Amino acid sequence: MRSFGIEFVPMELYWRTTYYSIQAERLGYDNIWITDHFNNRNVYVSLAVIANYTDRIKLGPGVTNPYLVHPVMTAQSVASLNEVAPGRVVCGIGAGDRTTLDMVGVEMKAPLRTVREAVEVIRRQLAREKGGYEGRVFRTAAGARFNFKVQNPIPIYVGAQGPKMLRLAGAIGDGALINASHPDDIREAVRHIRRGVERAGRRVEDVDIAAYTSFSVAESEKKARKPVIPVVAYIVAGSPPSILEKHGVSTEVADQIRSDLANRRWGEAFGAVDSDMIDAFAVCGTPEQCTEKIDALFKTGITQFVTGSPLGPNVRGAIDLFGREVLPHFKES
Amino acid sequence: MSYRELVKRIPHAMYERLSEKLMDVLLEAKGGGDVPSSLAKTILYYWQRDQLASEAGLVNLLQAVEIADPEGATAVLDEFGLEEVKLALRPAER
Repeated sequence: MRSFGIEFVPMELYWRTTYYSIQAERLGYDNIWITDHFNNRNVYVSLAVIANYTDRIKLGPGVTNPYLVHPVMTAQSVASLNEVAPGRVVCGIGAGDRTTLDMVGVEMKAPLRTVREAVEVIRRQLAREKGGYEGRVFRTAAGARFNFKVQNPIPIYVGAQGPKMLRLAGAIGDGALINASHPDDIREAVRHIRRGVERAGRRVEDVDIAAYTSFSVAESEKKARKPVIPVVAYIVAGSPPSILEKHGVSTEVADQIRSDLANRRWGEAFGAVDSDMIDAFAVCGTPEQCTEKIDALFKTGITQFVTGSPLGPNVRGAIDLFGREVLPHFKES
Repeated sequence: MSYRELVKRIPHAMYERLSEKLMDVLLEAKGGGDVPSSLAKTILYYWQRDQLASEAGLVNLLQAVEIADPEGATAVLDEFGLEEVKLALRPAER
């Protein structure tokens, strides 16, 4: 099975995100993932509007986190969304972004345990289990359950980047969302996910493994590469030394980019992003180049490819180009 | 003059390309937030049914672009040689 997802960041007005979602559904995308950050528009309001204007495409948060949103509320949100879009809802959850959590004074404690327990709480809530839950991070009393039934299964995807979280995703997720773009990183991530699957005694076919990439497509390579520069600057600034070293990026350069971004010196920060960094942290190029790169990524064992932001120099044009010139290569093969 | 009457002055053969162009302007317009939610939802309704290039679709698109980016609306009408529609839209510019 090969499927395609698209990520939208609800920085845009709701009707623009919805317009692009209708367009993506029409062109053959399978999944819509909406990011969840406190400083953007609310993920579930965005999803509810999109659900109203689409008929087939699956949709869900990609990803929410259990630090800012208690898992009983995540369960309630996706269950309610499922009434608007029956059988089309998926739920992506991860540890979140440390920088964003810091901004609101929330500490990212015990991420593995927190995500594991959050997934358990969400599943129990969706199943309307009567008994309470006694975890180390989350607790619910007996009888703390919905007053309404959830008619369809809601697959839970675990967003992951590091080896331990990737293995956890394989062990407990209906799907895994790999936060990476380079084939070497994704190949390694798939290995970790499979290890998690095996240790949990599950079948790898039962887990949808998605590469959640920074993506940009345009008619020319130059036009495609330009919009990913700011995204790559943030990725470099936020990557651990092991990842930087693997891709030949010095920690000094990354520190400088981080400092420039923190001090809003955009020109310096974005100017420090070189071609190798773009190749390491984004999938971008002409439709032919993107097709080739995506083909290589599917060979690593992923089952879903997600075109994450920025998508291209012009979002509508990029979705159209991808739908017309890249998707058919995979959907028809 | 109403937007419907304005659109009636546009040749049918232009509907498809004109709707594409107006949508491009609307999606990039800095004043997108000024478009009333009810109008935005009407546009989504027509887009969902692939009818933005219909007369009714264009009526709503033209109205939204005129709110979000009046200069953009003028530029599009100029590009399509719709001088009469432009002047009817902005009688003050006569």
